[in-house]
Amino acid sequence: MDKNIRAYICTGCGIGEALDIEALSEVVSGEMSTECKTHEALCSAAGRAMIDGDINEGVNTVVIGACSPRVMQDEFNFGDDKISVRANLRENVVWCAGEDADAEYVQEQAADYMRMACTQADKTELPEAFQLESINKRILVMGGGIAGLTAALEAADAGYEVEIVEKSDALGGKAVNWRKQLPTRAPWNDLEEPSIGDLIKQVESHSNIVVKTGTEVARISGEPGEYLATFKASGTKSEWDAPAKVGVDEQDLIDKGEMEDPNAGLQHYMAANEAGEKFGSVVLATGWIPADVSGYEHLGHGKIANVVTNAQFEAMASKGKITRPSDGKPVESVAFIQSPGGEEDDKDFPYCNSVTSLVALKQAMFVREDNPEAKAYVLYQHMRTPGQMELFYKTAQNDDGIFLTKATVTGVEDKGDGSLMVAARNTLLNEDLLLDVDMVVLAAGMVPTTHDEATINLAYRQGPAFLDLELFDGYADSNFICFPYETRRTGVYACGGVRKATTMEETVDDATGAALKAIQCIESVDRGVAVHPRSGDKTYPEFFFQRCTQCKRCTEECPFGALDDDEKGTPKPNYTRCRRCGTCMGACPERIIGFKDYNVDMIGSMIKAIEVPDDDDDKLRILALVCENDAYPALDMAAMRRHKLNNLVRFISVRCLGSVNMVWIKDALSSGMDGVVLLGCKFGDDYQCHFVKGSELADRRMENIGETLGSLGLEPERVAVRQVAITDYDTIPEVINEFVEEIIELGPNPFKGF
Amino acid sequence: MAEGVRVEPDLNFIKFLKKAGGDSMKKCFQCATCSVVCPLSSDNKPFPRKEMIWAQWGLKDKLVADPDIMLCHQCGDCTAYCPRGAKPGDVLGAIRAYAYTHYGFPSGLAKLASNGRNLPILILLPVIIIGLLWLISGGAHIPDAETMRTVGFGHFFGHWEFPWLAKNVAFIDAIFLPAVAFSVFAAYKGVKSMWDAMVEQVAPESDFRPSARQFLVDYLYPSVVEILTHKRFNECGANKDRVKGHLPLLLSFIALFAVTNYGFIRKDIIGIFNPAMHGPIPLYDPFKILANVAAVALLVGMAIIWANRSRLEEEQGAGRTFYDWFLIGEIVTVGVTGFGAEIVRLLGIPSLAYFLYFIHLVSVFMLFFYMPYTKFAHMVYRTFAMAFERFRDSNFVNPAVTDDE
Repeated sequence: MDKNIRAYICTGCGIGEALDIEALSEVVSGEMSTECKTHEALCSAAGRAMIDGDINEGVNTVVIGACSPRVMQDEFNFGDDKISVRANLRENVVWCAGEDADAEYVQEQAADYMRMACTQADKTELPEAFQLESINKRILVMGGGIAGLTAALEAADAGYEVEIVEKSDALGGKAVNWRKQLPTRAPWNDLEEPSIGDLIKQVESHSNIVVKTGTEVARISGEPGEYLATFKASGTKSEWDAPAKVGVDEQDLIDKGEMEDPNAGLQHYMAANEAGEKFGSVVLATGWIPADVSGYEHLGHGKIANVVTNAQFEAMASKGKITRPSDGKPVESVAFIQSPGGEEDDKDFPYCNSVTSLVALKQAMFVREDNPEAKAYVLYQHMRTPGQMELFYKTAQNDDGIFLTKATVTGVEDKGDGSLMVAARNTLLNEDLLLDVDMVVLAAGMVPTTHDEATINLAYRQGPAFLDLELFDGYADSNFICFPYETRRTGVYACGGVRKATTMEETVDDATGAALKAIQCIESVDRGVAVHPRSGDKTYPEFFFQRCTQCKRCTEECPFGALDDDEKGTPKPNYTRCRRCGTCMGACPERIIGFKDYNVDMIGSMIKAIEVPDDDDDKLRILALVCENDAYPALDMAAMRRHKLNNLVRFISVRCLGSVNMVWIKDALSSGMDGVVLLGCKFGDDYQCHFVKGSELADRRMENIGETLGSLGLEPERVAVRQVAITDYDTIPEVINEFVEEIIELGPNPFKGF
Repeated sequence: MAEGVRVEPDLNFIKFLKKAGGDSMKKCFQCATCSVVCPLSSDNKPFPRKEMIWAQWGLKDKLVADPDIMLCHQCGDCTAYCPRGAKPGDVLGAIRAYAYTHYGFPSGLAKLASNGRNLPILILLPVIIIGLLWLISGGAHIPDAETMRTVGFGHFFGHWEFPWLAKNVAFIDAIFLPAVAFSVFAAYKGVKSMWDAMVEQVAPESDFRPSARQFLVDYLYPSVVEILTHKRFNECGANKDRVKGHLPLLLSFIALFAVTNYGFIRKDIIGIFNPAMHGPIPLYDPFKILANVAAVALLVGMAIIWANRSRLEEEQGAGRTFYDWFLIGEIVTVGVTGFGAEIVRLLGIPSLAYFLYFIHLVSVFMLFFYMPYTKFAHMVYRTFAMAFERFRDSNFVNPAVTDDE
């Protein structure tokens, strides 16, 4: 595209009063050789009309010096064939200047933002969407329980072809063994007859749904829009089983014969099975398995016949009147133990949550249903009945024969005749209790199937499983709060027990959400745009493979496993797996990866466009590379609250700290800037990174660059990473100030002026 | 085996409480708001929170031996502030109703008197006794207005005269003295059981017990004074107005008790020597004036109590129970028929006067005969529970000097 760039400076919202607009226009028209116009309200109809007029005369690239790029996006969108770049004069300069700001400093700031925006406009190209050669729109649903059946039905009703793969011989999952189910509708009081039979019938009679029972997924290769799934009979082995990850070092050892090949006898992960079936996206609804509670000696599970788990109890209850396993005596009293007690004290059984609480109440009702004189004790440390389920709790509580108390259970003892004695302390009755019961039911939690097995069985270079699930105790999820259903693998959406311990009602919601996500994925792929979180983004990483050294950093570091290896060992991008975070671009030492509107050269040039005074010890220049998802909005919000931000700092927004290439740091320091700070999301256990690993990777890379700086005689402290949450708008000025103080302490960059 | 209290919930007890006004008790989720607002609660005994869970768990032995149950005078603060609508005040009322039945002697009569379904029997019993005696006394006819003006109800049971006692007085005594004596004995038995059960809870192995004088002077007397002054009633938050009903009622009962004794001495004792004393007490007699003032106080007190109770049920959703309304009904009947009979007598309508008088006798009989088993029993149980509270705080239960010191 032949660019015809024009810049516009808005003087509204206080910009005109705070800045010398004439001088600023001269920077643009002189230094940056770009024609510049001003207007008192660019976002108004008149302002837009002015720009539209210029566009009609041939302007196709517009630089807007006004408010934050996060606002007025529609007003300053001039169509897909025009480039629109923003300079954030309002939030990043004027509103955060503070009352006592030195006008000279503020003017320099504004000039730098205009220089950067003009540079950015110069370096930005129009994106062209990536299109797969062919796309398959069928949805694969793994698991035929409530979650899988609901997801299948929702997707099928929306007009998509669905295939359900169920490991066992029948549909229905856990629900087919329930006597009754928790309430799913007002007044939320009564147990309901299981609805699973209905659901199965609807699925089986749906013309868009194919069901395969007794079947497992051996492997899924390919990418969203053209997944290739290989199935096998449950419990069997196949040459198409998903291969384990073999890294470069391991492959070396295998080649030397020093290590056994874990994938011996299996097809290579890049091999395509001619007999496989094609799908567009996958819903993972493989559910959960009851946790093992036999490890608690004092509770006697596995040793005492009449101590069972809630899952075992449900199975007994579904078969008829509940009787003691030891001698078949109808039960007159049952203790439901929700927490192991003993030395664990306040802890619950592993993988317990509200569902186990509710199930205990439900099963207590079974006991009462079978015998109106029977007693059910529920001993808990935490009774969790969220939302409308509080009404269900009230119903259970109101039953004459259901007795609830917080308690630390200290032991279960067999009295010899089959009946049991439960001992508990710290009860609400303010006494240590001894209860005579016929049976004890332990609350075994719901362990997601992804806890112990790969389950999804992807044939990806990064291995068959989701990564880092230990952060979520094995639950298949990438960012629970912000992006439900999404996993670390684009195109695979989790719902039900594999995602979270859910009640039936929650599972139905979940499954519907996951089905919608699966559809969104297919349709986004069809249009050639990113699925999420950068939904609709047409750009994608482009590789200049001639210069690739096959170092595989991009392949290893991609949080979403988008890159495989081709036959020669060169990275093979799978664009529809990609989320456009740019982590590969940040990783690449050869700097051969970039997007049309976001690349190493573009940001590097913007950094170099910042004017660094080389003869003034007070006018230090500090570069802040800011994550656009959390830290940048926090800066905007700080400015909206008129918090003062240090005016020695220049902010550049990046897609993710993971996309920060080390060369930018070098660019900044070699152009005489005195420090570089990276503002990104929290990482670790409760990470907030949209792209899971970005800020963590950036942190690691900065440690490495610290050493390089040291060897050049620069203090490693000149470069730092700070973790900022989107809610940190009140503290972010201080975070920045502290860093600036540190740099002032260190003094100006010794290379300044060279 | 681990230490602890063996717990066995009593489902029948739970059913009883739910029927007797405690239908909301299972709603309690132990937040202790009630204990925060209750003036009876202390740090060590979160009253009535612990009673609520005991009730939920059907632990009746613990509850009936808990003096706090009796000390509660249902001010209603807990019910007003309960975030869950568990109405602890009503639950405690139901527990008291259960306790009166539990300790009631003989237990058959106690059970009979605690159930609303038995109301016809409860009424029929005195109707038959008094009616039968009326028939066999020979007085079973309505006098003319002239006779009524001179002798009042003096010929109700006939006018044949023993040498020393009017036949009428003899019949009255024959009915009411045994009834009251029985009731007092039954109350004694009940209170004794309660006291023993309470001692068992706080000091099961104590070798010490107070002397009769200590008991009377240190425990019982201050309790009676406290009752008369309505000290705790005045601490009420939610139902401060109740003292306006209960105090006149209590004072009128004391006054009427005094008047009855005066009448007994005048008619039954002095009357032996001076038959002229047998007639109606003249209206100018100071005791008669007191009686009439007391009757008005009783009716005013009952009107206030009736209104308060209705308001409690409407506004705070308190349960409408036999336990509460039986006593209100009894006292109102006693007051209305007693005062009514006097007025109708003075107006000179013998048939109506006789009818009202008959009902009056029946209701008075019911009030006192069933006293140990109905809400009226609070008169004795609460008084002794208050005495027990003082005993519990004394050195008999909490030795000031221990072996360690």
